[in-house]
Amino acid sequence: MGILSLNLFISALRLATPIALVALGETYSERAGVINVGVEGMALAGALSCAIVAYFTGSPALALIAAIGIGASLGALHAVWSVYLRADHVVSGAAVNLLVTGFALFLTRVIWGWRGTSPSAPTMNAWILVGVGVFLIALSQVYIFRTPWGLRLRVVGEHPRAADTAGINVYRTRLFYTVLNGALCGLAGAFLFNNLGRFTDGMVGGRGFIGIAAMVVGNYRPLPALLAAYLFGFVDALQMRLQEYIPSQFSLMLPYILTVIVLAGFLGRAQVPKALGKPYIKEQG
Amino acid sequence: MEGIVKRFPGVLANAGIDFSLSWGEVHGLLGENGAGKTVLMSILYGLYQPDQGRIFVRGKETRIRSPHVAIQLGIGMVHQHFMLVPRLTVLENMAVGWEPRLGPLLDRRAMREKIEALVEEYGLEVDPDAKVEELSVGEQQRVEILKALYRGAEVLILDEPTAVLVEQEVEALFSTIRTLKEQGKAVVFITHKLHEALEICDRITVLRKGKNVGTLSASEATEEGLAEMMVGREVVFTVSPEPVKSEGRVLLSVEDLSARDDRGVPVVRGVSLQVYDHEILGIAGVQGNGQKELVEAIAGLRRPTSGRVKVGEHDVTGRSPHTLASRGLVHIPEDRHLRGLILTFSVEENAVLGRHREPRFALGPWAQRRSAIRAHAQELVRRFSVSVPGLSAPARTLSGGNQQRLILARELSRAPQVVLAVQPTRGLDVGGMEFVWEQFLKARKEGAGILLVSMDLDEVMMLADRIAVMYQGEIVAVLRRGEATKRELGLLMLRGKGAVD
Ligand SMILES: Nc1ncnc2c1ncn2[C@@H]1O[C@H](COP(=O)(O)OP(=O)(O)OP(=O)(O)O)[C@@H](O)[C@H]1O
Ligand SMILES: [Mg+2]
Repeated sequence: MGILSLNLFISALRLATPIALVALGETYSERAGVINVGVEGMALAGALSCAIVAYFTGSPALALIAAIGIGASLGALHAVWSVYLRADHVVSGAAVNLLVTGFALFLTRVIWGWRGTSPSAPTMNAWILVGVGVFLIALSQVYIFRTPWGLRLRVVGEHPRAADTAGINVYRTRLFYTVLNGALCGLAGAFLFNNLGRFTDGMVGGRGFIGIAAMVVGNYRPLPALLAAYLFGFVDALQMRLQEYIPSQFSLMLPYILTVIVLAGFLGRAQVPKALGKPYIKEQG
Repeated sequence: MEGIVKRFPGVLANAGIDFSLSWGEVHGLLGENGAGKTVLMSILYGLYQPDQGRIFVRGKETRIRSPHVAIQLGIGMVHQHFMLVPRLTVLENMAVGWEPRLGPLLDRRAMREKIEALVEEYGLEVDPDAKVEELSVGEQQRVEILKALYRGAEVLILDEPTAVLVEQEVEALFSTIRTLKEQGKAVVFITHKLHEALEICDRITVLRKGKNVGTLSASEATEEGLAEMMVGREVVFTVSPEPVKSEGRVLLSVEDLSARDDRGVPVVRGVSLQVYDHEILGIAGVQGNGQKELVEAIAGLRRPTSGRVKVGEHDVTGRSPHTLASRGLVHIPEDRHLRGLILTFSVEENAVLGRHREPRFALGPWAQRRSAIRAHAQELVRRFSVSVPGLSAPARTLSGGNQQRLILARELSRAPQVVLAVQPTRGLDVGGMEFVWEQFLKARKEGAGILLVSMDLDEVMMLADRIAVMYQGEIVAVLRRGEATKRELGLLMLRGKGAVD
């Protein structure tokens, strides 16, 4: 049957999962007004901590918890920098990425004596995480648009002063959703580890940034972002098959080229939250 | 409120103000631009903390730490710049923070019923499911008032509510205010229009330079008396333009101009007009008849779909505002926050905005002449009596009226050939209006041509040598001074050509 088999669509779903999880996390934090480009690092930290805990305890469940916890902590770090100390969001996120990349090299070396990789460690079935991801995304669609908390979230990112007068704590809201973003990135990292069975330092490989692109294409809505992520996952799966026919150096570029093209088309159209990236300063005095 | 003192760096905004409000009263708050009205009310609403002074609510001393606390005390405020999220619906904007719930979900049905009940009670028509960005300013204001009432406001502070309304809307607002009063609620009404204060208020308090200069009952007040209290001297309410002779040179010529609004609807349809030297051409019309888009198309801020614009001999259709300025056309925009000033920039930076590349103010493309800029700003602030906390204070900290003065100062100081002015006196106090009118007449006397767009018919009739009436995107009549009565103009504005037959 050639390239387009049922298998292709199924592996596309697997490849889409980390992208979709990052897109969901970023949707939450940007809706609250916080740009987080630290998603790459947060996912990588999730994958690494998952590998370490799985390797030493042999428990994939504990490893999962560790991944989420580390992601959330990095989210908190980013929130403290950008929301409370009013650092530039992009700079703070980039700092997270650098920090994690350095740590990953260091820790793999110290623990296993290898540069940037781990030996294989116990995993759980990655399909469980695919299911969890899809469930969370569907739930978030309802949460953001149908619940009081979702409404508050949207107001905080659009008009923080209006939120403030309505008694909503803008800072705490931003902290909460940035931590949530980190946790979801950690989950994405955990998926990557369980999918491959070990850690390598290039395993996130731009999927965090592609996740942000999927969020933009989905116009800050979880379900459309999932569809966008699936499209990226599909192209990724496709390029793997194409490697039989064309040099892998070319086929590997496909998902990234697609990202650039799609983003160019959607960037202008997305309804970016009004207060995105702007620090909120309470009326003083 | 007793002895309220509030200092900002460089200004004493409130210098020990006593202010009281009783149930069932409408209390007018008047004062010049920068007198401290907004600051005083923001303190009552919990936005600012007073440096000194005490606040009593229902006889009990209270500290109002935040607007949220104020709202819980039953105090609501409608700001001049609305606190609404344009992308959300009316329902969502009103609900946020006080959402009715159905399990974990927002109960839209219950919310809609509550809104409808309020709409019914106060006669404030709005569609709960409309997006706020699709509403007119008047409708947005209704949403703000409804929002405050939904949150249980017993005291409602309205900061210059009528500045953005047309006459019919003002009437509707007044009837809402009367309903509130009958229910025993209290309303603070800030305005610069003295006749409105006299019409709707029970008591009136006048502030001057951060002090309360007197509270009197509306029945014993007169416009002249109030104006004098505000400014500290006699004020004239009208200016009479002295006749000047035009040389018949066309300074601005618009030929068959058409343009679309932001949604792509054609709202300017084949407008032609000329502005001569030594002339003020007024454009009268009900808001939303294409005046805004017409001016933007002339000013180079909106691409016309057809037609030409000429300044003097030069065709400037679709050219940038910068080119237009170099041809001697200046624009005093309607939205001072969006187009007039950069609020986070300092007064001096704003004072040279658009001129910052002139050799006077810049050393090549990379460096500024700071001292020249500062001297220029100093001069403008002095000549146009803009009251500012300091030249390096951000424009955001100026009171509304002083922001407008700063824009006028910047634009009129360029010795323009053509002035495009939209609602130039909106939000100005009586002294400020007088000042703007004088400046326009001075520019006219010196030979400039002025295109004045205003919703205030009295202003247009007083200043303009000719009046063009705009209705549904077309100029339906051009009349010379004195050719039509206010009533006839009003009819033309409301019904177009068919009105006078
Ligand atoms: N946040 C702030 N920081 C510094 N100064 C301020 C701030 N807010 C207001 N001021 C100053 O306080 C004074 C009083 O301002 P306020 O806004 O109360 O005037 P107003 O009476 O409402 O005038 P207007 O009629 O022009 O709106 C002004 O001189 C203004 O520049
Ligand atoms: Mg004010």
